[in-house]
Amino acid sequence: MKRPWYSFLYVRSPLVKIGLGIVAVMVSIAVLLFLGVIEDRRMAAQTANWDGRAIEKGAEIYANNCYTCHGPDGKGLPGVAPALHSKYFFTQRLKDVGWTGSLHDYVASTVAAGRPSKVKSQWAQMMPTWSQRFGGPLRDDQVNNVTAFVLNWEADALTQGTPDNPDPWQPFQDAPSKAMAEDGSAPVAEAPVEPTGPRSPQELFAGANGMGCSGCHNLDLPQTADSRGPVGPNMANLYETAGTRVPGEDAATYIHNSIVAPNAYISEGYMAGIMPQNFAERMTEEEINGLVQWLLDPNRQR
Amino acid sequence: MAVQPELEKKGFAQTVLDAADDIFTRITAGIPAGEVRRMLRGEAPGRPNPRLKPHSEAFLLHIKPTYYHESVTRFTHTFRLGLLSTYLFFVETITGLILMIWYAPTPERAYTDMIRLLSNVPFGQLMRDLHRLGAELMVLIVTAHMVRTYLTGSYKAPRQFTWFTGVILLVVTLFLSFSGYLLPWDQLAFWAVTIGTSMAEAVPPKVVGETVNLLARGAPDIGANGLMRFYLLHVLFLPLVLFLFFFVHYYKVVHFGISLPSNEEEIGQDTANKVPADRRVYFLPDVMIDEASFLIGFTALMIVITAFFFSAPLESIANPQSTPLHTVAPWYFYWLQGLLKIADKTIAGVILPGVLLVLLIAIPYLDRNPSRRGRDRRVAIISGVVAGIVMIILSWMGTPYYAVQGAPPVEIVQELMPEEGMGPVREIGYAHLPLGKYDTREKPVTEDEEFNHILHEFEASIAAFEEKDPTFNQAYGVLSVTQEQPSLKRITWEIFWISPEGAQDKFVRTFFLHENSLYWEQYGLKDFSFVRPPAQE
Repeated sequence: MKRPWYSFLYVRSPLVKIGLGIVAVMVSIAVLLFLGVIEDRRMAAQTANWDGRAIEKGAEIYANNCYTCHGPDGKGLPGVAPALHSKYFFTQRLKDVGWTGSLHDYVASTVAAGRPSKVKSQWAQMMPTWSQRFGGPLRDDQVNNVTAFVLNWEADALTQGTPDNPDPWQPFQDAPSKAMAEDGSAPVAEAPVEPTGPRSPQELFAGANGMGCSGCHNLDLPQTADSRGPVGPNMANLYETAGTRVPGEDAATYIHNSIVAPNAYISEGYMAGIMPQNFAERMTEEEINGLVQWLLDPNRQR
Repeated sequence: MAVQPELEKKGFAQTVLDAADDIFTRITAGIPAGEVRRMLRGEAPGRPNPRLKPHSEAFLLHIKPTYYHESVTRFTHTFRLGLLSTYLFFVETITGLILMIWYAPTPERAYTDMIRLLSNVPFGQLMRDLHRLGAELMVLIVTAHMVRTYLTGSYKAPRQFTWFTGVILLVVTLFLSFSGYLLPWDQLAFWAVTIGTSMAEAVPPKVVGETVNLLARGAPDIGANGLMRFYLLHVLFLPLVLFLFFFVHYYKVVHFGISLPSNEEEIGQDTANKVPADRRVYFLPDVMIDEASFLIGFTALMIVITAFFFSAPLESIANPQSTPLHTVAPWYFYWLQGLLKIADKTIAGVILPGVLLVLLIAIPYLDRNPSRRGRDRRVAIISGVVAGIVMIILSWMGTPYYAVQGAPPVEIVQELMPEEGMGPVREIGYAHLPLGKYDTREKPVTEDEEFNHILHEFEASIAAFEEKDPTFNQAYGVLSVTQEQPSLKRITWEIFWISPEGAQDKFVRTFFLHENSLYWEQYGLKDFSFVRPPAQE
């Protein structure tokens, strides 16, 4: 009888079988012991791994939803939304509002349920509700991910306060800060830096020391019936529409008036009192004029 | 006292030894220690054979035959594939039960439970990986079992019904594996099962298909109801069906005996149950030693593979709003996906698989050839091999390599940094991604060898697509790595090209990578880097 080529697989001797079985048991025990010894480290690495992945997912959500108001680096936009990447936020904010839970709870609940109150707030926009539980777009796991991302600024925020890494210290008007310079919990008030010249329109519109216009006004989308800015009108086609808004006002006058006295004319469908009223004090006349010209330029440089 | 005269007669030591032997005999269900010793020394049993007693006394052994034909105990006759399938079912039951402890089948909990299992339960990852490996091996081995039966012609009379129950068991195994797919509630699970159940929708007429789909998913789309249904199918209903058919199948196997090698009996005869006394191999001890050592060795192999080479994947949490690029069914349904690419959904998704199943069941009745010898069955064997090759080709067509290519820039980025899973960039990891902006036109070279390799691949991939795709001209890519946060890098892929209209086009994709993220979800040597202490800064 011809044997197939694979007949070597057939072990006959029971002793060899028992021997192989004993070797297999010992190999299994050795491998399981090895796994048992490194199990604590494996679990720690996996915990860090999934925390890291939550931060990655949170970064994506932040980049898609949050950065227009809170700034690409989380340092906030003056008049639009507070800095989260700030020593104040990580060390003082909870004490100021009297929150007894953790910062994680505070951030997660704010992301989820928003900040509906506008009482004594210096921010132009309300924090919307983001959680699906409260009518927003995000699932609970996404709220947790974006919270993990915000809290990941902590390491850097705690080292703020040096000239290289200044703290965008922003006490909120809704809860006057109890931090004091004397006990070291707040930075010593610095003399305001005198502007060395007129600021550029780009700086004013979207810069870190600007007016925070970009939080509510989109420069890339036109303001049309099916493309409306949710908080403030879009501005890609402003040079066409500005002159047609208020009878008797040309485009430049209209924009100038809208900046210094926003409530004088409110575009249909928007609320009065959203846009800050104090731009005339915060910018020089020269800067406002520069900004108006820049906004009216169809080929504006970003 | 009755003990005392016994003691006086036999002495103390002998009495203790007898009592010990008595207990031993009860545990082994009828075999005294001396007989075990004779078994191990390879001595023949006495008459009447004392080694048959456990078969009548012990419940677990009463379903095993007392002796086998020598020819069928050869490993190379059956490869122990049926035994292995049964064993894997028990492995799956035990690991599955352990996994159930930490699992709740709701969309809110399922995925976080997976993460908790991996990061917070000792040996949790091992259990999950074992369960997954066992499931995939079970599909493989049940299929191999069927192929072996086909090639040796063992489905022929009188074993037609055994073959029928075997086909049912194969189908149940596939569905068991598939229903378990959804439970981790990640993107891989969600979309594979969405594709799978959408095939049920193609069942004609329309109202039946829609109802079947609705019953399987519990709603028009998979959600909390669908997860609960798949969970119950996976842990209760399908195992029960499998259990039932297993016993019918096994009863038939024992009843008819394992078919002999075809050249040992006359054509058309079945002498498996007429074993001459000199060809008998008794279960105790020979077959038991063989089976036990085989299963122990197989278990060791599984543990070693799981510990060092195999990880059950876990992708991002299921997101019904975003379909990942290149969604695939489980590998054992690739052939079905391949069919769906070349034919209509009703024909390829329902009618052809149905016909295939009926054909498979009908094989013993279609094949009227009484001979089981290979040289008499050329037609059957060749058509079987052809069917196998067709399945493999269809499976290949089911993979994303066949007929689903996205736009070149999408594919280029997907190759290097896929939406889900690892890819070469995540494999080299955070530490090997130096900050900076790298333009492929400048052929940048950094100090990091592994990163240079990525840049080179990026460049080569763009060049390859430029050659292949006429709408993708003068392309170049810019890869920027910036520090987004402490321990978090932003990786931006930008690809620029000139479209056929002569306009400049641009594709941008942004990813984030955290320092601690370990992308293990790929089959390959596991990375034990966490064992080493972190490098001192």
